[in-house]
Amino acid sequence: METGTAKAVTKPQAEDLKDPAYLKIRDVIYQISGIYQPEEKLYLLASRCARRMSVVKAKAPAEYLEHLTMRGNRDAELRLLLNEITIGETYMFRSPPQLEALRNVVLPQILEAKKAMGFKRLHLWSAGCSTGEEPYTLAMFLLEESEKLLAGWTCDILATDLNDDSLAAAKAGIYGEYALRSTTGLLRQKYFKPHDEKRLQVNDQLKSIVRFDRVNLNDDSRVTFLKGLDLIFCCNVLIYFDLNSKRKVVQHFYNNLLPGGYLFLGQAESLYQVDDRFRLVHFPGVIGYWKPPLGYRGGGKS
Amino acid sequence: MSSLEAIRLKIEALEELPAVPAIVLPLAAMLQQPTEQVDLGKVVELVSYDTTIAAQCLRMANSPLFGRQNTETVRSAVLALGLKRVGAILMGCCLNRIVPPDQWVLDPVTFWRHSLGCALVSNKMAKLIGYPDPEKAYLAGLLHDLGILVNTIACPEEYRRCLQTARDQRAPLDRSEEKLLGFTHCQSGRILAERWKFSADLVAVIEFHHAPGSVPGATPLVPLVHLSDLLCRLRNLGHGNYEAVGVDLSGDCAWATLVEHYPALARMDLARLTMDIDGAMDEITAMVDAVFKPVPSASA
Repeated sequence: METGTAKAVTKPQAEDLKDPAYLKIRDVIYQISGIYQPEEKLYLLASRCARRMSVVKAKAPAEYLEHLTMRGNRDAELRLLLNEITIGETYMFRSPPQLEALRNVVLPQILEAKKAMGFKRLHLWSAGCSTGEEPYTLAMFLLEESEKLLAGWTCDILATDLNDDSLAAAKAGIYGEYALRSTTGLLRQKYFKPHDEKRLQVNDQLKSIVRFDRVNLNDDSRVTFLKGLDLIFCCNVLIYFDLNSKRKVVQHFYNNLLPGGYLFLGQAESLYQVDDRFRLVHFPGVIGYWKPPLGYRGGGKS
Repeated sequence: MSSLEAIRLKIEALEELPAVPAIVLPLAAMLQQPTEQVDLGKVVELVSYDTTIAAQCLRMANSPLFGRQNTETVRSAVLALGLKRVGAILMGCCLNRIVPPDQWVLDPVTFWRHSLGCALVSNKMAKLIGYPDPEKAYLAGLLHDLGILVNTIACPEEYRRCLQTARDQRAPLDRSEEKLLGFTHCQSGRILAERWKFSADLVAVIEFHHAPGSVPGATPLVPLVHLSDLLCRLRNLGHGNYEAVGVDLSGDCAWATLVEHYPALARMDLARLTMDIDGAMDEITAMVDAVFKPVPSASA
């Protein structure tokens, strides 16, 4: 799930945004969840806060800040606010820059390193896959590259979530116009079949490379055994973990990845002060976290 | 193939072009002075010299990016923005004129969006790490690609091919310049910067922003602008072409140089800086559109 704007948001008055309490709320959210709202997008945050403020009957942002930091139920309130912030169904092909980075930089780099060792298999993990939009997007991307970049390679995607309902929906793979809004007609034809008047269902070819499973990221005994991964995608999931569990999960991700593998987070998420072993790598329009191979001493990569 | 020597001759002829505003040289001199020695009246006079430039300055001063609104006179714009910032803006507006509107071989809005993005990021990074002159960092970011303008005027057809090659190969611009022209915008930019008597550290930024490891002497301005430039190019504030690169900024040699000068950099939250740039992108685009979009005729 990604930070979304699915629900209509009412833009608060410009004067409200000048309230320094919003900056403090922004920083609290960032410290706790790693989700960051740049100053120019504070009106989005303000509109999300407005909904929670009316529920808890806080009259001003400063009063609401108290609910998030001082009152007894602050953890619960923060979780409810995070729900507001990350709400909105996600959709397929939500981050084109991410796929461009995979196609142009990340995969060529990984393929070259693996080929040198005689491997021709690629393992991806969509951790916190929600209703399946992310893993199916990746599956379409991989299939589209199967004659080009990935000719001769075998790929599989493990897609996990904690929520049984989300997993059931993901396995069924039935999507409406919202989820398919960025999926081209050609891809709809190739990888979907009609389900009912308004919805399409993913076809067997697409399903065949995605394996769904229920995994609790907090469950060490399960997560430890997911090994040999090339790419991990974990969007807007870590935000619900406290710092210690977040560190633990990210440490697992690090160990799950092969050297040279990448971790991708949600667009507004960061690992600052969570982990310093991953290297932050910038690609055009998107950032990724890289597990450097043994002996890496910096010097940039291109 | 145009040689660098041919470029030098063309640059010497450039000053006779009517398109180069007469205020460039006094302006460059003013920007080298310590702020307390700059004469406010003189700056207002320079800005007011040309109505189009004055209007561009006002539009910029009124942009939300600078947190100012409803500035109506040049004097209040200068006071609101600060002398050095106005000088830098003015310099940008003047440089925009050295390429006549019908001779751009790259999109001027894209070019200025990158330059302004780099200026803002350099300024922000300078403040974050405690670099003593953030306004100089702004100016250096704004002017680092001066050579692109030089190449555009001096060898438009070859340069058009260069830009096309960079686009087709999804490669950084300086690589295709090296291959097709035999020199880069860094070298040609240096010639003009020296001729206009820019200070030594600005000239160094213009010449070495793609090769911060080769700069003689240790000015932190070069690695600072180098990193800002990279960051902008990777956040859709580049030259309009997709660069197929993944950059580990903190593994870059410029980073190590800067950390030596400013240990605070080691603790900098780069992801957050990146998201700030993303957040400011709409504003940067709107402002550059308002200020630098070529107008068919200059009207007062």
